[in-house]
Amino acid sequence: MTWYDANLVLIQGTVTGLLLALSVQVPLRMGVFSFAGAGAYGIGSYGGAILVLDYEMAALPTLLLTTVGGAVVVLVLGLMIFRLNGLYLAMATVAFDLIISVVAINGGELTGGSTGRFGVITDFTMAQMFTIAGAALILVAMSELGRTGRRVNTVREDPELAASMGIRVRRYRLAAFFVSGALGACAGCLNILVRSTVSPLDIGFPLIVLALTMIIVGGSLSWKGAVIGAIIFTWLPDVLAVIGEWQELIYGIIVAIAAVLLPRGIYGMYVDGKRAVLRWRRRRSGATADVLAAEEERESDDPPPRVGELTPSEMGAQG
Amino acid sequence: MTAGAEAVERSHDPTVGTPVLEAQDVRVHFGGVKAVDGISIKLMPGLIYGIIGPNGSGKTTLIGAITRLTKLTSGRLLFDGDEYQGAPASAVARKRVARTFQTVRLLPDLNVRDNIQLGADVRKDGDGQPFLRRLLNRSTSPVVAEAVARTNLTGFESFFPSELSYGTQRRVEIARAMVTDPRLLLLDEPTAGMNQHERAEISTLLKDLRSEGLCQLLVEHDVQMMIDTCDHVFAMNFGKLIAEGSPKAVVRDPQVQEAYLGRKWREHA
Repeated sequence: MTWYDANLVLIQGTVTGLLLALSVQVPLRMGVFSFAGAGAYGIGSYGGAILVLDYEMAALPTLLLTTVGGAVVVLVLGLMIFRLNGLYLAMATVAFDLIISVVAINGGELTGGSTGRFGVITDFTMAQMFTIAGAALILVAMSELGRTGRRVNTVREDPELAASMGIRVRRYRLAAFFVSGALGACAGCLNILVRSTVSPLDIGFPLIVLALTMIIVGGSLSWKGAVIGAIIFTWLPDVLAVIGEWQELIYGIIVAIAAVLLPRGIYGMYVDGKRAVLRWRRRRSGATADVLAAEEERESDDPPPRVGELTPSEMGAQG
Repeated sequence: MTAGAEAVERSHDPTVGTPVLEAQDVRVHFGGVKAVDGISIKLMPGLIYGIIGPNGSGKTTLIGAITRLTKLTSGRLLFDGDEYQGAPASAVARKRVARTFQTVRLLPDLNVRDNIQLGADVRKDGDGQPFLRRLLNRSTSPVVAEAVARTNLTGFESFFPSELSYGTQRRVEIARAMVTDPRLLLLDEPTAGMNQHERAEISTLLKDLRSEGLCQLLVEHDVQMMIDTCDHVFAMNFGKLIAEGSPKAVVRDPQVQEAYLGRKWREHA
């Protein structure tokens, strides 16, 4: 058995975990404190199971339908709670996630009640999974580059400045809901297509905790942080399995240490480090000193124009 | 012709041509506080206008109202003769109305070049870079390079705002507004935190922009800079316009001296 075969479940978990983390990170990057991606994950999982089992749909159309469905549902949610902000917005999206869980438990035959749905067998391949997840990751990464990246940063950091830079802030925030729904539902559907079962325990509040942990520790402002977080928190339980019952405690301590010591996450620490090196290099090469010296020289060379030379009495006399 | 001589020839005559901006009976009330109370102004192309007034007189609120970041209680706003008081702030910016803020608002995680590039992103004519290069963000676009040079920021491109002095941060903000290729530039205390030399440089830059036909509206506490830079000054107090005219005429106005400049100026005048 190769390493790949032995760790297939963890690899699948990393991919779905990454998309789930991105479904929370993308809105956060636009200043939208929304966990609706976790609810969309439930829609994707159950939607995928229902479409395959009850409607005998093939894997790819199922994935497409659930992704679009999740995106539209979360967009409608976004339109309904658009005026909320910060913690109130977060609470509303948590409530949405809980509603999805309640519907899953009480959905009768459609959702399989507390046992959920199982036996979702399709022709879905791992190559398809990697391609789809890779495409989603590239699209998210592109949203961090160039003009879009700058605009997303502005919408998050200073919505008023964004508006004065011609950015339609409302449109960006609604897009955040749409993309979050699409990513969450896609993650959920991928999960059901490779795991074949879903139960109410697989969705809901624990997903919010998992996604938040991934992006807080990995780094909340870049897809690279989500990748780091997804890898760590999918593989860590497996690595910690050797310590048995102490696993949960050590897991908690690692998260707490990361939150306290790395407020911008591991990727944020890398960015800060890179910036510090850049500053150090500038100082070492004398670039900073050069710029400041040039600035001083400029100030001492040309005599300033007449601003400030008029005294109040001169003004009166000239007038 | 020197900028100064040019300024003498330029005069504010709202009866000739269409104003770039016209505000008619603009009111902004916050509950019982009348921050702007019935202001009507016209800004003609190619002139520098100034607003002076004591703290709390409504200068910044008026700029906020013009850019639609502050909600109007009543009144009309016209840009090039078209009403826009119902338009969102982002649409006003796309009409090529650029502004700076009373307190510097730069993005802390972007370097100077990218902070200025944010302004170039507004331009409909693009920023002179091919798509892929713009996406990868590897080089400085020509319009940003020009703005950097004009605001004397050469060498600072890779610096982050936290590494810059307050005056330099202000210059970055002015460059970001300039690079949008505006038709109307609103500057809220652009030289606050700058030394005398930097103020003079900004004054010269604004006069250069005027000679290129750009209409500007300045809010500034440095009265002497206003006198040297502006073609026409409005004086505000308690949300109302108390005087307008040439800078020197306005600072000699007894009402303005009483409200803003104080006894010292009155005695000297």
